[in-house]
Amino acid sequence: MFGYIPLGMAFGVLFQSLGYHWLFAPLAGVVIYAGSAQFMAVGLLAAGVSYTEAFVATLVLNSRHIFYGLSVLSRYPKHGLSRWYLIFGLTDETYSLITAKPPESSGTGPYFVYLTGLNQSYWVLGCALGASLQSFFAFDSAGFEFALVALFLVLLIEQVRSMSEPWLLAVALCASGLAYVLVPNQFLLVAIGLCLVTLMVRVRGGGVHG
Amino acid sequence: MDNSYLLGIFAVMGIATFITRALPFVALAKLKNHSVLDQFGRLLPPMIMVVLVCFGLVSLEVESIDRGGLSALSFVVVILLHAYFRNPLLSILVGTGVYVIGIQGFGL
Repeated sequence: MFGYIPLGMAFGVLFQSLGYHWLFAPLAGVVIYAGSAQFMAVGLLAAGVSYTEAFVATLVLNSRHIFYGLSVLSRYPKHGLSRWYLIFGLTDETYSLITAKPPESSGTGPYFVYLTGLNQSYWVLGCALGASLQSFFAFDSAGFEFALVALFLVLLIEQVRSMSEPWLLAVALCASGLAYVLVPNQFLLVAIGLCLVTLMVRVRGGGVHG
Repeated sequence: MDNSYLLGIFAVMGIATFITRALPFVALAKLKNHSVLDQFGRLLPPMIMVVLVCFGLVSLEVESIDRGGLSALSFVVVILLHAYFRNPLLSILVGTGVYVIGIQGFGL
């Protein structure tokens, strides 16, 4: 989970290329708290997109989190403020930490709050460090945008290990290619939409009874 | 610099992120043991990750052959490092490092 400091720093450095005060970078870590969405935010802000566009893009980008929540549903506290903080802080990293252990040994609410809080602290600290260092020293940040690709690639490799139907990955690749050629402006929405349709056909056609 | 626009985008993205994280807890709890949903939960995230990798690559805005080669090299570095060491931090830092050095050090 210490990975959150350098990754947060990469975000902070990139964020400074927009020219805002560096304190806004840790603020993003506090209110958005999503690595990939924050990296995307730099691009969205630079392009000056509308609030609606930012909203839809974030929903699509983070739609994978819906399925994270499902698998930790029974382990999280049922009520109270801690429940809502845990839900707010359910990032890729926190999810993988919590699900890495079998349910019976993964601890309880207070431990999850500690874990989630620690993760977010590292992340906010990383954002602040990267942005403040960049604002004082102004080093060349060209190329830092690759951190987002590397992050997604690492997450993909982790998930591919347990993927039971690899042909669906080829479907996702084709969907991306198609979306890029046909509607580059709505790339994420169209590509993920195509994946969803294929998966619906697969799940229904697979003779599965709910 | 328009601070109110920035804060607006932060708020909108924060709310959208929270919605995606809270949805299963408020809306899908009753469907938890639904096998169709289980299959989606198992099969969809890796597919979305493929799309996101492509999204990231598209966002790099590769405009030259040299830059394309550098992207491919950095991409392979991340895959190899992660396949062998399985350390996310190492894979991301070295992969990004190769890309940054290629651009800043060699002008690719």
